[in-house]
Amino acid sequence: MSSQHDIVVSVNGERRHARVDARVTLADFVREQCGLTGTHLGCEHGVCGACTVLVDGDAVRSCLLFAVQADGAEVTTVEGIGGPDGALSPVQEAFRAEHGLQCGFCTPGFVVTVTALLAENPAPSDAEIREALSGNICRCTGYQGIVRAVRRAAGTSA
Amino acid sequence: MKPAGFAYHAPDDLDHALDLLAELGDDAKVLAGGQSLVPILALRLARFDHLVDLNRIGVLRGVERADGALVVRAMTRQRAMERVDDVPLLARATPLIGHFQIRNRGTVGGSLAHADPASEYPAVALALDADLELASRRGRRSVPASEFFQSTWTTTADPDEVLVAARFPRWEGRAGFAVEEVARRHGDFALAGAVCAYEPGARAAIALFGVAPTAVRAPAAEKAMLAGVPADEVAHEAVRDLQPADDVHASSATRVRLARAVVRRAVTGAREEAGA
Amino acid sequence: MTATAGRFVGQSVLRREDARLLTGRGRYVDDVMLPGMLHCAFVRSDIARGTVTRLDVAAACALDGVVAVLTAADLNAHAGSMQPTLLLNANGAPLRPLAERDVRFVGDPIALVVAQSRYLAEDAAELVEVEIEPLPAIVDVERAVDAPDRVHPELGSNVGDDVPFPRSEALEAALRDSPLVVTETFRQHRQTNVPMETRGIVAAYDPASAELHAWMSTQNPHEARLAISRVTGLPANRIRVTARDVGGGFGQKFFTFRDELTVALAARRLGRTLKWIEDRRENLIAANHARVDVATCTLALDDDGRLLGAYVDHLEDAGAYPTGGMGGAGALVGMLFTGPYKVPQAAFRSRAVFTNTCARGAYRGPWMFETVAREQMADVAARAVGLDPLEWRRRNVVRAGDLPYTLPSGMPLDNVTAAETLEQAAEIIGYDAFRVEQRRVFESEGRLLGIGLGLYVEPTSMGAMDPLGTDTAIVRVAPTGEVTVALGTGSHGQGIETTMAQVVAEELGVDIDDVVVVQGDTASTPFGRGTGGSGTAVIAGSACRAASEAVRAKVVEIAAHLMEAAPGDLEIVDGVVSVKGTPARSVPWKEVARIAHLDTARLPAGMAPGLEATASYQAPPITWSNACHACTVEVDRTTGLVRVLRYVVSEDCGVMINPMVVEGQIAGGVVQGLGGTLLEHVVYDADGNPLTTTFMDYLVPTATEVPEIEYGHIETPSPTPGGHKGMGEGGAIGSPPCIFNAVADALALVGARIDRTPLGPDAILTALDTAGA
Repeated sequence: MSSQHDIVVSVNGERRHARVDARVTLADFVREQCGLTGTHLGCEHGVCGACTVLVDGDAVRSCLLFAVQADGAEVTTVEGIGGPDGALSPVQEAFRAEHGLQCGFCTPGFVVTVTALLAENPAPSDAEIREALSGNICRCTGYQGIVRAVRRAAGTSA
Repeated sequence: MKPAGFAYHAPDDLDHALDLLAELGDDAKVLAGGQSLVPILALRLARFDHLVDLNRIGVLRGVERADGALVVRAMTRQRAMERVDDVPLLARATPLIGHFQIRNRGTVGGSLAHADPASEYPAVALALDADLELASRRGRRSVPASEFFQSTWTTTADPDEVLVAARFPRWEGRAGFAVEEVARRHGDFALAGAVCAYEPGARAAIALFGVAPTAVRAPAAEKAMLAGVPADEVAHEAVRDLQPADDVHASSATRVRLARAVVRRAVTGAREEAGA
Repeated sequence: MTATAGRFVGQSVLRREDARLLTGRGRYVDDVMLPGMLHCAFVRSDIARGTVTRLDVAAACALDGVVAVLTAADLNAHAGSMQPTLLLNANGAPLRPLAERDVRFVGDPIALVVAQSRYLAEDAAELVEVEIEPLPAIVDVERAVDAPDRVHPELGSNVGDDVPFPRSEALEAALRDSPLVVTETFRQHRQTNVPMETRGIVAAYDPASAELHAWMSTQNPHEARLAISRVTGLPANRIRVTARDVGGGFGQKFFTFRDELTVALAARRLGRTLKWIEDRRENLIAANHARVDVATCTLALDDDGRLLGAYVDHLEDAGAYPTGGMGGAGALVGMLFTGPYKVPQAAFRSRAVFTNTCARGAYRGPWMFETVAREQMADVAARAVGLDPLEWRRRNVVRAGDLPYTLPSGMPLDNVTAAETLEQAAEIIGYDAFRVEQRRVFESEGRLLGIGLGLYVEPTSMGAMDPLGTDTAIVRVAPTGEVTVALGTGSHGQGIETTMAQVVAEELGVDIDDVVVVQGDTASTPFGRGTGGSGTAVIAGSACRAASEAVRAKVVEIAAHLMEAAPGDLEIVDGVVSVKGTPARSVPWKEVARIAHLDTARLPAGMAPGLEATASYQAPPITWSNACHACTVEVDRTTGLVRVLRYVVSEDCGVMINPMVVEGQIAGGVVQGLGGTLLEHVVYDADGNPLTTTFMDYLVPTATEVPEIEYGHIETPSPTPGGHKGMGEGGAIGSPPCIFNAVADALALVGARIDRTPLGPDAILTALDTAGA
């Protein structure tokens, strides 16, 4: 049915050798084969952003990539954002300080998106913040705490 | 929502890709950015026995300038277009495409070849009379944009052909450009959109998207614009024969009105920028 | 910080849930991966109403990796009752695991595929051969009332619930003879909850021990356990339901529907561990829908615009298989219709009607149409009398001096501050200044700005409905002094691990870091009401207080005995029990805990060892909270798009445990209401086929569509132990009419009118066209 492929992917700095079905998405790969369940599936059709990861530094929807396409790439999931000892990154700290999460399901996607945003644009305007967030859906917070969190994180790193 | 199975191929040179397409025919589909194709596969709206991934073919990436044109190789990521100064329509249309995560993977060629009626790049290509370069094992050919977009998600490319580059003419001299669209939310497909390129006394190009099975030029409106007709009447002319479909987001009548509004805004904006 | 802020209660304590959720270490149901686990996919009807003429699973079964394909023939006879709750009857809409002879909505489950992976299960699902002979679908709720075709042939009517509260003679006279009588019909459209995490279950049945452990995305683990017990026939004490992290629910996961129960039953029958994770398309089509309401409202007024009488005739669409009773809140709409206004008499009729559509289920304030209809009607009345909507409300609102006020329906209203929130909201938004600006902008630029209000009272923490009115807490102190609180709640974003720790730490006098809340697991918590119905602060909170008080009393008694002091002279501060005013005479909390467990000879004579207490709290019939929403909008005359400029909520939820959490709850509800009014729309065609089956068609707000929300807080304590009130649903109650009214206000500038939602470009442009604007 599906072809199978051997891949080597660096996930959060760790090289992994794996054999994957061609049709397995990168999202399912990190969740099931890497045991990194922080990346969530909210829609599986590329709209909600809950599955956002970094591939070679770029924020992408991991439900729209096949794992086999990540062969040779560096993937960063939410588990790779903070410190190895569980220390929160400045973005994660800001989300906590500003109540930028409630149920937490969309949160990993936002954390990765915001991390990518601020890496590229350390001092975004409010309009730029909202625009950059518009590809991630949250149903709990009404985005109030999330926008505050981005402002706070930008203030910290700027 | 998991896709049906397929055999995956990731050639690292174009000839190999073309060979695969020639052999596999209708059973194969090209995978570019995947931002449009993969949702279709996940929803099982379509399935293919083979996917030919173009992402590892280096010669399909990058831009160059040649003969007064910007040549964008097909697998160039959409995000790269945000910084392209010499074709303002590309730079201005690009931030309207979805969200930055989509533009990180989506490609210029992929968007053109997918030919969604509500997407921006086909309209830009039409307005600028771009040329689309197609390659197959049988050879290469160049198709003008006006002959490329056939219907919804349908182009005149043959099943064994790959879009390898798009050639966008650069407008030198005093010119103005505008891209306007109306969407329910930021980043959504446009309910109606218009791109306009204008060189006073020389040429005017108006292309609409989201209001027909393909992006469409508005030749009568372009003549009117060149003749100095007020923007509102130019817009009226541009939407005269439109018959967009009804859908859950907007009725046909609404789309026509929105089309008129975006043409008016685009014409006004382009004129202002051209200093006319 | 609030006026009554304590050390922890009243403080915006940061959440302890956040560390794991921010680092991707939450544990949602899809994160549960067990050895030997199999994956499920449903085959669902793509016809809204019809007869199943053929069902052949042979090809699906033959697919490599498929373990079973179950149909009604395999499962239905083994199913006990599938009522999601015994609390509310569904008036007989028959519930079976899988469709038998017919299907009754698009999404109706027909077969369950069990395979080695979800990928394979979906492959097999496509191979199941189903033929359905279509019948005309009943899709429109108004036509369904008298339609000769039955959604459920077993029942005599499509009307599942009919609650009349007849008009008195006085009301009839008022509706007939009053100086001004206004009537309007309002319609609200189909929406759905859209939690970011879809539904899901991992049901593991071990035949050897005859035990079933279900991990679920649920707001109500204990109720889920009972439901699983009913359907599987397994006794409750052999069933465990665990919900560690739940990705939102807003009511969708308060009751357990057919799909999860069918998977649990299948696990029992197969003796395997089965995982079913709903995908988003299923969630939009087959989870639950809400908000399909229509009501004709009549208000009788005197010449000054004061209310003399009110009548509402309300119809709600229950779908084919409503959950939790008839899915909505029927009679509550009629009973609350008059809201925070003085009306001498009122009456209503409320009917819930079956249609061949997805189940109506609870969605954040299931009864909220009463506020939609009333607040929108209020503006109609105001315009009819020639009054500003703010002034009309001022003339009619129940004021402090009127309390307690008995609503015409008999419900007693007390401890609310409707009038105060009205004034505060108007002040924060700058109502009068806006009117000036509105006129200026319209006259000079022709732009349409509008302002709207949404005033309501909310019945929260309703104690009268067993078991929703009661909660139990266990407060347990370890020999080393750390405190564990066990609750039968089902947190799904409310921060219960933080807020209840605040309450307990405050009551006990220990540091909040020494208090851990355990919840979301039937094995380690007392039976509870789950999380929903705006009840946690009042009910779980009060149970926590009561259990804490008992533990505290014992600690004090032990310490008094150790220090030879009088219990009344002791206080506990920061984990130290000391004599008030004499800090040198003290004993650490940890020492008391140690003695209570490990050095029991030193306890007072006759005192039992150990240090824990269990206490329950039953709430009063209603704990009212209230709020006033105010917003300004601009309506674009060219595009028909609406932009919300400012949004203000002045709210009174009594004593706030955590103001940050309160504002977060309000914000989420407001934005759901904004989405529901302007963007979200579940659409069916005339044959009952859903047209909005992905996030590309069902549009929820993103960060670019929402304003910054501004808050005003009034804290009027409730007569419950902490003085709290429920508030989780309020944001979604006040926002739709507030935004509707603002749009109507803007359109009124050019004589355009609206009477239904959603307010997308089509609706706005049509309204403008009709007015010749």
